[in-house]
Amino acid sequence: MELTLRALGVLAALGLAALLTHFFEPAALSDAQERGPATPAGARGPVELAPNPDRWMHPAGPVTALLGVLFALIVIPYGPDLVPRDLGIGVFYFIVVVDFVVLGLSLGGWGANTRNSVDVYYRATAQLVAYVVPLGLAYIGAIMMARSLSTVSIVDAQAGMWFVVLQPIGFALYLVTGLMQAYRPPFVEPFAAFIEHGVYGASFAWQALLWRLALSSLLFLVAAMGAVLYLGGWRGPLLPGPVWMLLKTFGLMAIMVWGGSRVPLLSTGRMLELSWKVLTPIGLANVLVVGALILLGVGPS
Amino acid sequence: MSFAEAAEWFAFVILAVISVAGALGMATTMSMFRSGIFLMASFIGVAGLFVLLSADLLGLLQVMMYIGGMLVMILFMVLFSHDPGGSMMADMDMSLIERFFSLGLSSSPDKEGMDMERHGHDGMDMGGQGGHDPMDMGGQGGMDMSMTTPVKRWAAALSVTLGGGLVALLLLRPAWPTTDTTPNPESARMIGELLMSKYMMAFEGAGLLILIGIFGAVLVARPGAYPDRDARDAYVTRDLPPAPIDEDPPPSADAHVPPEALEEVTVSGAHRDEAGGPPPQNETGQAASESLDRDS
Repeated sequence: MELTLRALGVLAALGLAALLTHFFEPAALSDAQERGPATPAGARGPVELAPNPDRWMHPAGPVTALLGVLFALIVIPYGPDLVPRDLGIGVFYFIVVVDFVVLGLSLGGWGANTRNSVDVYYRATAQLVAYVVPLGLAYIGAIMMARSLSTVSIVDAQAGMWFVVLQPIGFALYLVTGLMQAYRPPFVEPFAAFIEHGVYGASFAWQALLWRLALSSLLFLVAAMGAVLYLGGWRGPLLPGPVWMLLKTFGLMAIMVWGGSRVPLLSTGRMLELSWKVLTPIGLANVLVVGALILLGVGPS
Repeated sequence: MSFAEAAEWFAFVILAVISVAGALGMATTMSMFRSGIFLMASFIGVAGLFVLLSADLLGLLQVMMYIGGMLVMILFMVLFSHDPGGSMMADMDMSLIERFFSLGLSSSPDKEGMDMERHGHDGMDMGGQGGHDPMDMGGQGGMDMSMTTPVKRWAAALSVTLGGGLVALLLLRPAWPTTDTTPNPESARMIGELLMSKYMMAFEGAGLLILIGIFGAVLVARPGAYPDRDARDAYVTRDLPPAPIDEDPPPSADAHVPPEALEEVTVSGAHRDEAGGPPPQNETGQAASESLDRDS
């Protein structure tokens, strides 16, 4: 009974996340630029299907990606008791499970077997290599201060002060790598127009719907995790917890989408360069700074 | 049997089937890409078994390593192999299990005959060199002999013996220690503390090894590793800034481009070598030609 309730809660969160992102994101982007996964159906060319798609992997792609998003929603807290499941290693679980989106893109892209969709596999994997290390470093700062991997404990540790005040570098790092993880501008290469919007150009009907659902929710997920790690999650005066959580999530989404769309697009090679030459050293420096702060007694006791 | 126990059994059976079927599929499918995905599925199934044994951290670590690592590994495998999608071999004679795990692979209808014919000749040559095996599946014409080797029977016998021996060892083991203690919810913290205290030398040593590996890769790829510039240009892409998105080649409407035209398309988008050396073999070019290879 309780299990069913929790499962329904996760499904409701998915619906809400996808719905809100779906209407929010196009409003924040202008028509002229690349929109990545938020490209509306009318702005795309016709769906191109290969004569010989892989009949197992092509449909497995969107299902895998959506499963990853669903699993990740399990650890997002909306209040002290409003979390589908508070795992002891929640943040680590989150990082792992969101990787299923990349696996889904690879399966779906390869399985569709058109020239453009196979490109999605190459580019999505390269993007994974680019973001995975700095993203982990961006998480580590918050985890070090909270001394826990549980999302609820991390929010509780920010009762006195949000981590964004103590670790502005880590927060900025999270914003950039989060955009990379969510395939939002300027990191839209797997969904760029010149490869017919990636998997969108090679899937139709229910598959396109599942892709849209998974990729819309992905931005929400990344922003929600950012709110948990750096903005104090559900904590805030006057308003109830879930409202604060949603407000922070959407504030973060607005910052990310607005800021990202004002930067020129980056190719995969540039992303790798940015990641290994800039973001990774910054992340390591952030870890050092946070360690020093903890030794100095700053942060939650 | 309570509901929880039944659920556990159910989960165990599902995960065990995924692990075994994944390993079987990895060895028998004709598609390299699918083979890698099957291997990943097998490992994820094993990770699920870890989680069932309350070793959450271990299971998640395994999933993390194998999704990211395996995707990158498959990427390199695909870039280097001749027929990563298995479409050339999809229509040849296969044993039942190979056919099952290769379901849904097929070459494009118009190219099928040509591929089969070409491959058939290759197979004949190799069969002639390797000696004819009377235990071959008896197929004629379309069968690709290069898939069967004379040592196949020996390999099968060896693997069955070894596998049987391992299972027998497990079954004949005198006693399985069981315990009723509940797993510690703080296991992640304890593993971290152990890694940073008791096993610190091993942990840091592994980190150092990986670092040296990275240094080695950079060293091998660095410009000075070749006697002169021309020698390097013949093997390695120059360290030019990658092409921005809008300079990439436009997707060609016709998938069946003749090879010369394909070369032109992929090179025109990439940066030309101003020294006039061989065309750069950067990732974009490789990727584009690879996907076209699969299509044709």
